[in-house]
Amino acid sequence: MTSPRTISFNIFRYDPQDPSDKPKMVTYEITEAPGMTVFIALNMLREQQDPSLQFDFVCRAGICGSCAMVINGKPTLACRTLTANFPDGKITLMPLPGFELIGDLSVDTGKFMRELAERLQLWLQPDANDIDIHRLETPMDPAEAAKLYELERCVECGVCVSACATKQMKDSFVGAVGMMKIARFEMDSRDIRTAEDFYHVIGNQDGVFGCMTLLGCQDACPKDLPHMQQIAYLRRKMAQTIVSC
Amino acid sequence: MTASLKTAKTKIHDVSSKGYLNPIWAARADKLQSATGLLLGIFIIMHLHFESSILISKEAFYHVGHFLEGGIFSETGHGFPVVTKFISAFMLIVVLVHALFALRRFPAQIQQWRALRSQMTIMPHQDTKIWFWQLITGFLLFFLAPVHLFDMITNPEIGAHLSAERVYHQDVWMLYVLLLPAVVLHAMFGLYRLAVKWGVTTKRTAALKLAKIMVVYLMIIGIASLLTYIFIGQSLELPVTPFVPS
Repeated sequence: MTSPRTISFNIFRYDPQDPSDKPKMVTYEITEAPGMTVFIALNMLREQQDPSLQFDFVCRAGICGSCAMVINGKPTLACRTLTANFPDGKITLMPLPGFELIGDLSVDTGKFMRELAERLQLWLQPDANDIDIHRLETPMDPAEAAKLYELERCVECGVCVSACATKQMKDSFVGAVGMMKIARFEMDSRDIRTAEDFYHVIGNQDGVFGCMTLLGCQDACPKDLPHMQQIAYLRRKMAQTIVSC
Repeated sequence: MTASLKTAKTKIHDVSSKGYLNPIWAARADKLQSATGLLLGIFIIMHLHFESSILISKEAFYHVGHFLEGGIFSETGHGFPVVTKFISAFMLIVVLVHALFALRRFPAQIQQWRALRSQMTIMPHQDTKIWFWQLITGFLLFFLAPVHLFDMITNPEIGAHLSAERVYHQDVWMLYVLLLPAVVLHAMFGLYRLAVKWGVTTKRTAALKLAKIMVVYLMIIGIASLLTYIFIGQSLELPVTPFVPS
């Protein structure tokens, strides 16, 4: 039986609240355990070596999207990344770019997602005249439900936003998460918004026509969401909309 | 229904943003960039194949050239060089329209360049790198392609000897050495991006592999053709007489 190896973590450290602090990379070493994830290692580092280390987590199971960070150049979830995936035992951790930095590896994705939801009106908008709480809701077609469920799997981790060079170059760009959610409501038969309504929200250079198809969103999404297909679908839909106007 | 559509029309047209920022033009610009890109990409594939008929023989190139110039419509079978002139002028317009609409993708500010470079350093990603090279080659083609097309408009005569004279004795090979890799890379990866962008295919890995194969293949036939013209040009004495099959 081989002895456990020592892995080294090169971690971005910076506290924007501290005016005297400067961004730097700090190296930590830890003994690897079987089945260890980056998330487990970070918790061990914080408990055993540096209590000031800041990073986010909630579920530890790839459901909440809180522990997203850039691991060896790939934005992904720390809780779903095994340390064994890195044969040389060297792991570099950076915070997700494109979001407000809270400190070290922790970024404010919540603020971004809320602003995005308000900007794009990312909630179901049924016919106001058709709401009757005393009536049973019409069952949804299973095929439609399956389609919506597929798009509903987004955990708002922000990885697609960070992986998108277009978004990094253009702050006002909606990004894949916004378009994924728009596609979800566009497909929902209960939502009364028309293609023209959606065009107002994403039919511009900050929306679907600003996407340069760099496909970072598709490649990095930890939930394997079909960003490429959905953006293409929206692009076709919005392009048809303008023809019919 | 008609009333609601009218309302929708008014809503979209009502937005007062100008140029690319106007939502109507956002869709049009994307479609025009894609349509012109598709046309140019297909044209390049055909152009390089016609051009490479010189690899078979001077006779083969002669017949291809004359067929494309409309030889079947002329009594002598030599065709009309004005066809080359017309096609070159049309392609020049297509290139300019494509460039005009593609320019909106270019990082216009130094901060955007920094963001792009930083992104590529921190998070190396294949398709982002490919797009970066499309950006660079697109910038080069903005200058190189019109020079070539203008040359073809002013000197439309095509032939094994006349083309070789242009390539070797008039030093146009210097233009082609830059133009060939730039146009092949830009066009093939552009066609790949078009296919995934509009959802023509969901088999992205296969599409990218095909694009890479096409880049290598077109580069090989392009370089081989260029070398052949240089060798033919070296063997010719000035003034050059047009090649006619015996």
